[in-house]
Amino acid sequence: MTHRNFWLSCGQKLLVFLLSIFVLSAAVFYAARLSPGDPLVSYYGGRAEKMTPEERSRAEERLGLHDAVHVQYLRWLRDAAHGEFGVSYKYKTDVLKVIWGRFPNTLILGGASFALIFTLALGLGILCVWYEGRWLDRLICRAGTVVSCVPEFWLSLVLILVFSVWLRWLPSSGAYTVGREYDLSDRILHLLLPVTVATAGHLWYYAYMVRSRLLDELCAGYVLFAEAKGLAKRTVLFRHCLRNVLPSYLSMMAVSVPHILGGTYIIEAVFSYPGLGTLAYESARWKDYNLLMVLCLFTGIAVIFCGMLAQILNERIDPRIREALPPQERKENGHG
Amino acid sequence: MAALLELKNLSVSFDAAQGELQAVREVSLTLHPGEVLALVGESGCGKTVLCRSVMGLLPANARIKGGSILLNSVDITHYRPHELERLRGRVLSMALQDPLSALNPTIPVGEQIAEAIPKQERSVRRVVELMELVGIPEPEQRRRWYPHQFSGGMRQRCVLAAALAAAPQILFADEPTTALDVTIQAQILDLLRTFSRTLPTACLLVSHDLGAVARAADRVAVMYAGKIVETGTAEEIFSEPRHPYTQGLLRSLPSLARRGKPLYTIPGMPPPLTRLPPGDAFACRNEHAMQIDYEQMPPMFPVSETHAAATWLLDPRAPTMPPPSGAQATDLPAPPHPRKEELLLDVRGLSCEYRPRRRTVVRALDNLSFRLYRGEIFGLVGESGSGKSTAARCVMNICRPSAGYIRYQGIDICSPREFRLNRKLLQTSRQLIFQDSASSLDGKMTVADLIAEPMKLHRIRPPRGSLRQEAAFQLHYVGLDESCLDQYPAELSGGQRQRVAVARALCMEPDLLVADEPVASLDVSIQAQMMNLFRHLRAEHGVSILFIAHDLSIVRYLCDRVGVLYRGRLVECAPTEALFSAPAHPYTQALLSAVPIPDPARERGRRLLPLVETSLSGTLSEIAPEHFVLKGDAL
Amino acid sequence: MDKRFTIVGIRPAPLPAEPPKSRLRLPPLPAVVLAIIVLGCLCCDFFLPKDPAYLDLYHANTAPNAEFWFGTDTMGRDIFSMIWHGGRLSLLIGFLSTFISTAIAVLFGTAGGIAPGWLDKLLTRVAEVFLSVPSLLLVIFLQAILGHAGVLSLSIAIGVTGWMGIAKVVRTEVRRLRESEFILAARCMGGGFFHNLWVHFLPNIFPSILFMVVMNIRGAIAAESTLSFLGLGLPLEIISWGSMLSLAERGLLSGAWWMVLIPGAFLVITLLCITELGEQLRQTADRQ
Repeated sequence: MTHRNFWLSCGQKLLVFLLSIFVLSAAVFYAARLSPGDPLVSYYGGRAEKMTPEERSRAEERLGLHDAVHVQYLRWLRDAAHGEFGVSYKYKTDVLKVIWGRFPNTLILGGASFALIFTLALGLGILCVWYEGRWLDRLICRAGTVVSCVPEFWLSLVLILVFSVWLRWLPSSGAYTVGREYDLSDRILHLLLPVTVATAGHLWYYAYMVRSRLLDELCAGYVLFAEAKGLAKRTVLFRHCLRNVLPSYLSMMAVSVPHILGGTYIIEAVFSYPGLGTLAYESARWKDYNLLMVLCLFTGIAVIFCGMLAQILNERIDPRIREALPPQERKENGHG
Repeated sequence: MAALLELKNLSVSFDAAQGELQAVREVSLTLHPGEVLALVGESGCGKTVLCRSVMGLLPANARIKGGSILLNSVDITHYRPHELERLRGRVLSMALQDPLSALNPTIPVGEQIAEAIPKQERSVRRVVELMELVGIPEPEQRRRWYPHQFSGGMRQRCVLAAALAAAPQILFADEPTTALDVTIQAQILDLLRTFSRTLPTACLLVSHDLGAVARAADRVAVMYAGKIVETGTAEEIFSEPRHPYTQGLLRSLPSLARRGKPLYTIPGMPPPLTRLPPGDAFACRNEHAMQIDYEQMPPMFPVSETHAAATWLLDPRAPTMPPPSGAQATDLPAPPHPRKEELLLDVRGLSCEYRPRRRTVVRALDNLSFRLYRGEIFGLVGESGSGKSTAARCVMNICRPSAGYIRYQGIDICSPREFRLNRKLLQTSRQLIFQDSASSLDGKMTVADLIAEPMKLHRIRPPRGSLRQEAAFQLHYVGLDESCLDQYPAELSGGQRQRVAVARALCMEPDLLVADEPVASLDVSIQAQMMNLFRHLRAEHGVSILFIAHDLSIVRYLCDRVGVLYRGRLVECAPTEALFSAPAHPYTQALLSAVPIPDPARERGRRLLPLVETSLSGTLSEIAPEHFVLKGDAL
Repeated sequence: MDKRFTIVGIRPAPLPAEPPKSRLRLPPLPAVVLAIIVLGCLCCDFFLPKDPAYLDLYHANTAPNAEFWFGTDTMGRDIFSMIWHGGRLSLLIGFLSTFISTAIAVLFGTAGGIAPGWLDKLLTRVAEVFLSVPSLLLVIFLQAILGHAGVLSLSIAIGVTGWMGIAKVVRTEVRRLRESEFILAARCMGGGFFHNLWVHFLPNIFPSILFMVVMNIRGAIAAESTLSFLGLGLPLEIISWGSMLSLAERGLLSGAWWMVLIPGAFLVITLLCITELGEQLRQTADRQ
């Protein structure tokens, strides 16, 4: 692929990216406005119900809820272009500030689980393939099936019951003990249970994926031929099969970022962990439009970005796509 | 000379869902240094399993049940996996049938060759040497290429280079030429033969193609239902076969048959390896079977020092074998030579393009013109990628041509209006038969439903009672019995499935049968049965057939006129005799010279004509009556 | 001359008897357990010792004993009765939302499989976006739009967010089949679109999505419990496994293990049985 083509395709992707975000934001905006519920309640709390009609209409006008939906959307778009995403009705501060405060917590939780999931999944997958059909493989598969049937929230409850209530080893909620915000060991203690649940919930899915992909590869003709050439089983597995599986594994990692993020949302809620998950859940319950909007956009951007990253990774790694065929060779019929 | 490899009563079995599958039964073989031993047999007779059991690469559900494998007089039967691993590459090596799947698509070929070289000698120079040895031009540059950048023949050369990298003593070549075009097959076979002479490498060539065997092999072992039934030198096997199976195989080859005579066929089908009969597995297909054949397995009877066959007919107590009877099928009346009056199909200036990707246009067909008269079998021949299937699809209205027209019985089938007006006629009187019957029959339907489907679609009242009775009748006609009616395609063998496909086409009483490589995936003995069926259809029903094939011997036997396609252009078109006796276009000449002859003496002396690049521009001109050749400006 | 050495010619060889064909055998244990759970939930009215909705505040937070076999919850309801009663709704939602998902998936997948390139690309993109947005967020959103949470609205919300996996399989299958030779053959014979869809596509697609559909039931039951647990699904007074567990969180810190472990164990066992059943189905399909 020439450089010109590369930049061209990058430009194309950027365009698609912007377009997708535009469509996404419009969809979220309209859906949010059309859903029933009273945004004033989230802003004024209980006071909203005692308002007179005049007060109500004045409040609505102040919040810009009076105009037609498309006018509201255009205004939102204009503000968003200036980096202003409005005020959270519930927290009454700038939306970005609210999100920014919570983001690191989610990043730590998600990042830690992400790293654990993908290293362990690769390891377990390879282990299963190495001992295919023997007791270790069967044990891992069996355990995986059972764990994959356990809903994340229930696993969290059971772990809290065992480790926090009965054994009193680990804290049951929050990101840190109040007053010890900068104590690293305290933070890690708080992370242990959520990370365990997040990892257990997703690990099996990816390990199984690695296992079945590797087994598929092992059925390929080149594996038989490599063994016939005298290569050791280890060499064949690592140098040939893993090399062919890794590109799709990498792109799978990229695609799964939002997936794992979604999983942590539930876990955050169970452990009352102050992250984006709890925020999204609160904003939906309280009709906090501006906040929900930005959260949705945030996730959407992550999704689209990761999807594109996966696509690019795939294209750059696979030689069949990367290398354009030299034209003279396609005609050649082997009469050399 | 001490044997390099010696198998003694080797038996290999699989644990299949239906029970024990005896893939290899008490096989004894020897392989000497410097020779090419060919293992011949039809698909599923255990050839590949035999190779893999020696290599120690059997699948997990297979096991060696008995016997021993001696390699340089050392018993390796019970070697552990890591001990076998040390033997592979250096002592034993293997080349596979499909060179594309044998190479890892994401690693450059040079690297894949290099990893097969023992560590201490591994170097770029050695890789280049190996690539030169197998005849890959510009190895310096091409060792960095990925497998998909090579053509099929070059890929097979890469596979051979990797297989030979550690200078093995024995090379197992498992159907190395099956996936390749005719013109390339001979080159690869010659390469194998050269290696066994120049390198210290003996070769065990596994093949179902008797022509390929005749070209490359010194000795031949014929395998049937897991057993070796005959061994001998190539000359002995081809000139005086003693086992009725070997005799049948050779006689059913179209290249040895005379045009107009029905092909000899071996009746029946091989038995399933899970339920083998107690006596000779071939008895139920042998017209000279004796009582003892059904009771006791025959031992190997030596015929000469090198020649032995496992048949009771060689027992001194057996009656002298009657001379081979003529074709067991009665001779058909000679087909009336197609009258040239009634034009059935007229193809003029047909071009077809498709775009696999943006900005690339592949021209599959370029200005193709031919005519098919009623009652004629017209053969369209070409190598892979020559556009012959596209032509069939255009005739059947599956592909839209980008230029030219096709008239069928005077109807311009490419015009949507005329197609609509004559839909029923077009859909019933033209029928298509695909190469791969497994994918052209819906696996979820029973045979009865499959055959009845077109009748249901066109609401045709079956002439013989119910739809089921009609289906049973058609099955009988193509040589299957009613017990198949309620079976699913997956339960049938390849030959049976292809017959079902033909029966489905026949129930519409077609005028034109478009057969796209209908016998290419079938074994020789089944192939012969199918070809007799096609001949019968034409003679009895006057069905015209557009027969598409890559195998020239089949075309020569079956067709009245032949067109040769090369890269989408028709380069020559003539009556069969004229084309085969006096080919005019250089491509046709090269193609004809590459057809293997199942006779070692003639085959080895045969010289391959080099295929020179020819200009494909120009027009067809008539050099003899009905004999058209593409004449370029340069020629 | 030996009689055995006379030529008798071709005769049918005495083949050993064909082994009996193996029929589809469901896994005994999971199937039996699942049957017990489903039947128990359906017929619970006949054997329940207590009214599951009765608030026996006097016996709130009681550990399992002879009267309350599985104990009571914080509102004094009998957990044993609630499990069987609540299982009905959980299973119903599971089936209902799977039905919705499958319907959407088959329509969407077939459309994507048959449509021309650009439309197919667009549809795939849409499905991808749906697939990659955290489904929890989507459900929250849908619940917000649908308003009051009930069995139907929850089923719709779960169904609408869970079809992408099946749709993807349907699409690839349709694409694969469309190019396959037997469809070409059917088209040559004059088979129209609906003939092909009915006779060829559906029977060939069905086995490959059967496993996905079974797994979808599993996913839907898990989703119901998760949502109800979070307070986004069924409210406390509508008894389901999820709403029972959402109450468990309150009892958790007081060490009321029976509220957490017993309904959860029922849930997990049900999901496990469904998984095993699905695996079995897939294996039989693969063998064919």
